[in-house]
Amino acid sequence: MSRTIPGFVTLAIVAAVLGATASIAAEVVDARGEVIKADNPSRILSIGGDTTEIVYALGFGSNVVAVDTSSQFPPEVLAKKKVGYMRALSTEGVLSTGATLILANAHAGPPEVIRALATSSVPLVMLPENASPESLIEKVKLVGRALGAEAKANDLAAQLNGQFGSLETVRSKIERPVRALLVLSVDGGRALAAGRGTTADLMLELAGATNAAADLNGYKPVSDEALIEMAPQAIVAVRRAPEEEIAADIAALPGFKALGAGRKVPIITMDAAYLLGFGPRAPRAAGELMAQLYPDLPNQVAR
Amino acid sequence: MIRAEAVTYAVGNRSLLSRVDLDLQAGRLIAVIGPNGAGKSTLLRLLTGELKPTGGRILIDGQDLATLSADQLARRRAVVSQHTALAFPFTALEVVLLGILVPGFEADCSGTRRIARDMLARLGMEHLADRTYTTLSGGERQRVHMARALCQLACGRVPAEKTAILVDEPTSSLDIGHQLLVLDELTRQKNAGRAVLAVLHDLNLASTYADEMLLLADGAVLARGSPAEVMTDERLSMAFGCDVRTNCVPRNGAPYLLPQSCTAVAT
Amino acid sequence: MTIESLDLPAVEDGIDRHGLGRRLILAGLLALGLAAVASVSVGPTGLSLFSLPRAISAALSGSDAAADVHARLVLLEVRLPRTILAAFVGASLAVAGAMMQGLFRNPLADPGLIGVSSGAALAAVATIALGGGFAGPWVRALGIWALPVSAFLGGFLTTMVLMLIARKHGTTAIATLLLAGIALAAIAGALTGLIAYVTDDRELRDLTLWSMGSLAGASWQKVMAIAPFALILFVTIPRFVRALNGMLLGEAEAFYLGIEVERAKFWIVVLTAAAVGAAVAVAGTIGFVGIVVPHLVRLTAGPDHRIVLPGSALLGAVLVVVADIAARMIVAPAELPIGIVMAVIGAPVFLHLVIRRGGGLAAP
Repeated sequence: MSRTIPGFVTLAIVAAVLGATASIAAEVVDARGEVIKADNPSRILSIGGDTTEIVYALGFGSNVVAVDTSSQFPPEVLAKKKVGYMRALSTEGVLSTGATLILANAHAGPPEVIRALATSSVPLVMLPENASPESLIEKVKLVGRALGAEAKANDLAAQLNGQFGSLETVRSKIERPVRALLVLSVDGGRALAAGRGTTADLMLELAGATNAAADLNGYKPVSDEALIEMAPQAIVAVRRAPEEEIAADIAALPGFKALGAGRKVPIITMDAAYLLGFGPRAPRAAGELMAQLYPDLPNQVAR
Repeated sequence: MIRAEAVTYAVGNRSLLSRVDLDLQAGRLIAVIGPNGAGKSTLLRLLTGELKPTGGRILIDGQDLATLSADQLARRRAVVSQHTALAFPFTALEVVLLGILVPGFEADCSGTRRIARDMLARLGMEHLADRTYTTLSGGERQRVHMARALCQLACGRVPAEKTAILVDEPTSSLDIGHQLLVLDELTRQKNAGRAVLAVLHDLNLASTYADEMLLLADGAVLARGSPAEVMTDERLSMAFGCDVRTNCVPRNGAPYLLPQSCTAVAT
Repeated sequence: MTIESLDLPAVEDGIDRHGLGRRLILAGLLALGLAAVASVSVGPTGLSLFSLPRAISAALSGSDAAADVHARLVLLEVRLPRTILAAFVGASLAVAGAMMQGLFRNPLADPGLIGVSSGAALAAVATIALGGGFAGPWVRALGIWALPVSAFLGGFLTTMVLMLIARKHGTTAIATLLLAGIALAAIAGALTGLIAYVTDDRELRDLTLWSMGSLAGASWQKVMAIAPFALILFVTIPRFVRALNGMLLGEAEAFYLGIEVERAKFWIVVLTAAAVGAAVAVAGTIGFVGIVVPHLVRLTAGPDHRIVLPGSALLGAVLVVVADIAARMIVAPAELPIGIVMAVIGAPVFLHLVIRRGGGLAAP
């Protein structure tokens, strides 16, 4: 009990201060089609790396009281309280953050906890899946409405739309798409490759590449032989931490050594949260990947 | 009490016991003797109802054994097997109390604990009642199981003349003093009216205690009758495939033997 | 010598372990009560039991004031079902473990060991993975019981297959059964892996989390899902006490003592499969409860199933309720999988059991 009293006091003060400044949107229809009454963004629990990045991009970073473990950017977020892995939330753990607004990635779970939270007095806004550039725009606008910052969200959405547009322009100049394989990790001598229906697949498409693992559904480990069969012309290695040496691990795979028929297959290393987070940095990440895949193309993606 | 009529038991096409007749009467002790693999334990397991004969039938007081339920059987006969493994740390007394598992036994028999202690005492085990079973020696364990079987029948409240005790080599791990103690107790049970059937390895003990003997060899009855009738040099030598001589002790005239040599005389 | 010499006066003597056991069971009830109160009182939100009247009145009046809703949700919709679920799961797993150990006459036996848990898990995983597909009608027809019933069927079928494999001449060979169980557990594990492989990434991650066990998703629905299985198990405990005690001496001996062994074995297998299946379905796989709890009960009160079964039910419930408090508090507001907490508590006890007495207590 004693622990929470100061919590509620701070909450009240913060709410009073912010209540005056924030423009309040009363009702939001979230990705599930639920009508959510979101009128107090003073204490935000943000679940999902993309969600958190959008909240920060809209200038509400200081209102964030807690995040999940996939929220790694911007760096300030690392100091926030953690409610654990987004697929394994606990109802009471989430409620104990004292949040007045919960914004959650489509993957947040388990479903029982989401159902229980939906019956709480705290508004829970679920964001749409990552299916296309439009879903990112939709996420930004939805978060903007929930935060009562629609104007800012529209600006960000317009900016993102512009970036996607210029990506498309550059992409149209590609004559021969590169067959690329995106590798998430190397475990026990097998690469974990991204197949169809993944955010990675979407990012490869945005970067103008053909997914060499399009026959796979989801993230699947592939053998050396399957790696040779896929015949990627480039490999995109995704690392979760800067010190991870995934490129070296891939280079050491016998299957990799047999690739390219004498020509070196490039390994492009990128940060996981940056490339696959599908937050506001997504078009830039796609542009950067495109630039590395097609060094000869003029890179016009706005930075 | 228990009658076996032309009982045959076969596994696949291998016959373990063929056409064995047996009449175990109240107040009698039958010793089943014979070489290893003769079918003694198989016969005992058939008589308990654990194995179903593949031919012939077994009757308990005129009722077919196969028609009786496990608890009806448990009230009428107790069994002590050759080997009973128990990996859990019961005390000796608790093992004896396991003899009264059939529902209703406790209601009929309020002094169960006292009976259990008395049965242990009869087998010279009263001082070990509270010892953990797993720490007892082989001979002590054998006597605990004997006490358990006695406790089972004592609590069954069926008149002694309608009950039987079937024991498989009850003396195999015992010293001479305890062998006599166990067989004396079986005799006491017999005298109280129970039918007793014991598979015995020690021919001299069998000869001393049995009212009747059944000599099995190769799954068939080679001889039956009083010890004097069964324990002849010729029959035993033939059954065991070695040369033996029987003789008589002066006291009650029961024959005894001293092994001579392992040279087979007949097989 | 007359018949009288075999009959003795009816006198009860001394204090026995059964008396001690009765006191232990009272102590267990008390401990369960305390653990349950603690579990409802403790949580990351810091609401205590003192908010209970408010929660109840909020539930009755349907008040939607934020503080009322908060108290009702946390106490009545989160902590209370979670506590009850933990108690059911712990008791079911512990009793199933004790029954299996009696059935196989081996104190190291566990539903996990002979493939019951693996079979249950496979069926549950298949139901989750295929629930949207051709298993859809099955899932819709059974509602909240789809998962526990599937898990029960999986555990039951595994056990029946095992018994068929191990059956010879009308009796069950324990050694064959244990070895075949290990093989079947491996097959079920492989099939579970295969299903995880063909499903998409999100379900795959759910399966991984689920295999570590968690009570975070506790709800009244889940309590309702496990309740019939658990209650049937508890109510039928007295019916199997004698059979299990007799079977400790061996199946033949149990028959000599008046137990219908094959019938008892069949029902013990059905009940344990049901209890394990339901527990696996609502809380994932939580290990060690089935081994550690009966062991501790035997250590204090002896191996008599009259004490071991109810004692295991109580201690199992207490242990899982307490482990769940730890699971939700240690890294609050995040949550540890309870399977991990139980492994931390259970593995050392199990090792101790193996080192101290494993050799001597192996299957006969």
